[in-house]
Amino acid sequence: MKSKKGTSLILLIESILKKIGNLLSGLPAIYTSLFLLLALVIVFFTGNKNFLSLYNIKAISNSSIILLAVGAGQCFVILSGGIDLSVGGIMSLVSIVYIIGLEKFGLLSFPLTLIIGCAAGLLNGILYTKLRIPSFICTLGTGGIFVSISYLLSPAPLSVPYRLFKYIDVVNGSVIGIKNIWFIALIILGLYFILQNYTYFGRTIYAIGSNEKMCWISGINVDRSKIFAFVFSGFGSAIAGIILASTLYSGYASLGDIYVLNSIAVVVIGGTALTGGVGGILNTFVGALIMGVIRNGLLLAGVDVYQQQVFIGLLIIVAVTLTFDKSKVSVIK
Amino acid sequence: MNSNSILEMINVNKSFPGVKALQNVNLIVHQNEIVGLVGENGAGKSTLMKIIIGIYEMDKGKMKLYGKDVKLSNSKMAIQMGVGMVFQEGSLIPNLSVAENLFLGHENRFKRYGLISISKVMEEAKKQLNRVGLNIDPKTYIYNLSQAYQQMVEVARLLWLSNIYHVENPLLILDEPTTVLTSKEIEQLFNILREIKNDASIIFISHRIEEIFELSDRIVVLRDGKNAANMKASDTNIHQVENLIIGRGLSKEYYNESEQKEPEDEVLLKVNGLEKKGSFRPISFLVKKGEILSLVGVVGSGKEDICKCIFGIMKPDDGIISIEGKEVKINKPEDAVKAGIGYVPINRREEGLALQMDVMSNITLVMLKKIIRNGLINSQVEKEKALYWIKKCSILTPSLKTICKNLSGGNQQKVVLVKWLAVNVKIMILNHPTRGVDVGAKEEFYKILRFLALEGMAIILLSDRLEEDIGLCNRMIIMKDGNVTKELTCSVNNKPTPVDIISYIV
Repeated sequence: MKSKKGTSLILLIESILKKIGNLLSGLPAIYTSLFLLLALVIVFFTGNKNFLSLYNIKAISNSSIILLAVGAGQCFVILSGGIDLSVGGIMSLVSIVYIIGLEKFGLLSFPLTLIIGCAAGLLNGILYTKLRIPSFICTLGTGGIFVSISYLLSPAPLSVPYRLFKYIDVVNGSVIGIKNIWFIALIILGLYFILQNYTYFGRTIYAIGSNEKMCWISGINVDRSKIFAFVFSGFGSAIAGIILASTLYSGYASLGDIYVLNSIAVVVIGGTALTGGVGGILNTFVGALIMGVIRNGLLLAGVDVYQQQVFIGLLIIVAVTLTFDKSKVSVIK
Repeated sequence: MNSNSILEMINVNKSFPGVKALQNVNLIVHQNEIVGLVGENGAGKSTLMKIIIGIYEMDKGKMKLYGKDVKLSNSKMAIQMGVGMVFQEGSLIPNLSVAENLFLGHENRFKRYGLISISKVMEEAKKQLNRVGLNIDPKTYIYNLSQAYQQMVEVARLLWLSNIYHVENPLLILDEPTTVLTSKEIEQLFNILREIKNDASIIFISHRIEEIFELSDRIVVLRDGKNAANMKASDTNIHQVENLIIGRGLSKEYYNESEQKEPEDEVLLKVNGLEKKGSFRPISFLVKKGEILSLVGVVGSGKEDICKCIFGIMKPDDGIISIEGKEVKINKPEDAVKAGIGYVPINRREEGLALQMDVMSNITLVMLKKIIRNGLINSQVEKEKALYWIKKCSILTPSLKTICKNLSGGNQQKVVLVKWLAVNVKIMILNHPTRGVDVGAKEEFYKILRFLALEGMAIILLSDRLEEDIGLCNRMIIMKDGNVTKELTCSVNNKPTPVDIISYIV
């Protein structure tokens, strides 16, 4: 009896989702995810008027921007048909190098950490393309290595001493009332948007994700584009690591752990296909906002941290059911 | 022939947003009959078939199976009623064995003591394979089978399924099965189909009209979603059917032979001693400016591998390739592209297009590097270039942003070609460019080729049909088992006939 009830409930949910999906089909996935974002905002706002207070919006933007940075890089790799599981490891490594660097070199720590992020991505890209192994496995390996190096550099969490706070204000401070990380977010969004839409590299990652063999036959240097995708993924992870370490005033080797899956989640929630070739940075931006809103909204609603994951998990499934553009992908893996 | 009708489709209508795919279409299939269904790409053949096997629902009309009104809502229902389709792309699972594929989903029939008895499965599989004349080990993995054998396994599966559902005269639909087969395999397939006809009916779809005539009892022509003709194969001829398909008389000048010019003296491509062991023996030839050279031979004659070696898809064991008198090293397609060679692959969906990307991006993919200013794509120029080529080769597309998947086969093929024209390649390798393209689009394609030759491009052509080779080329090199057997000039007024050539091929 009980199981019957269970299946009929799932069928009901399925039919409701299908109906919503039918209403939304024909629109690009990005509208669907925008619609979802709006719906979530309305739900959370009716539940708690403080949800749209300036203070809370700042809180949401903070976590969303970290997700945007790490998701932007991940998005390029996924567009090209790969996946980067080392983003968490890079974030952790960067958070530690960042704080050590601040002590030793001051502001030079920023370019240093960004270079390390890119170098880590370069390593991923070279291993992946030259050894011809799946990116999933390759980055699973390097991700572990990055975490290990982080532990070797600093077994215990590092905190930022007070005298270095002035440097960290590059991230945490604000100019004419606008928080600096919002500028950072704008720069990331702009940079990845231009890369995606107006460069040869951007076009090729779509083409490679859509049909790699065709690209090879068309004389495109497939390996180079794939390597670049990983470099930009490392770059995004480095920015995410810097922002997170700055907001926490500390860096540690497990800092990036949850961002591996979260980065994939924001890409997919935004409507980018895991099979590659479809989607993009704007989708990921909306995905990052959705994720930030969900997390914050649940917190405000008083859902305790351990239960939150249940809602987030469910919402990911619902979101992907709604936003995933099935018309463009014939086989779903 | 028995006149009992197995399938009757009456006044079928089906619309998609913006398109009337089928308008009052009728189709009857009798017992033990092979019906050849022909029509241009987009004439409504696939839509009609998908309605018959329950994938699409018709808007209006009636469907009768064995004299009874039916309404099929999915392909499982269709199979239970004895209607099955062998798809062009194949629907077998490559990493399972033949036997596993044959009985997929019905393993429970072979239970012994609650477990599946492998010996029972194998025994039954052998029996079913024999029925379609296949003498292979049922344990063979599908990916080890040739395309022809795979199709026969599919046929065997459909026949077996109709057996277990107690259907006496099943209806098989074969959608362009011969496109991927060699002539020997086609003969094999046809023999089996003729055999199967004794207790089944067949709808056979093909773009090759000769085959339709070879196999069919009756020919049904669809045009623009309507019935254009329905006649006994013995009452008509190839020419008439071709005219019915395109709805206007084929121009006398099908291959634009009067436009053929003698090539210029300048040699664009020189191949010297090119060799790939196990595929073709050392070969040397020249292609001049404005010349169309056909490499003629059956699949396996080595002609395709020669092209792959020139373009860097395959590594030759030996040989020198020179372009405009300069020796070039070609290790991968990228090198060939840089040297000014273009390549239209045999399989446009897998190797020629990014189907999920829009028409413009596909057209400009190769030339994109040239319109980059300060690291950024010049969108305005890109748009202009794409529009220019769309107009020049009359590619039918609703817009630049239309996803390539939604174009017809002929227009997709034009996109693949135009991608190379946009970078002004000097040498073009065309690997079966008109395969799976309907008659009307073929004609346009021939016009484009003539025009390219006139403009001075050197073209290497591989074709499915001897007539096409003869009609288009200036010169042909005929190959058999990796050896050159004959070289023939095909000047305008001195074209050989297929009969002259065939002895060098087989």
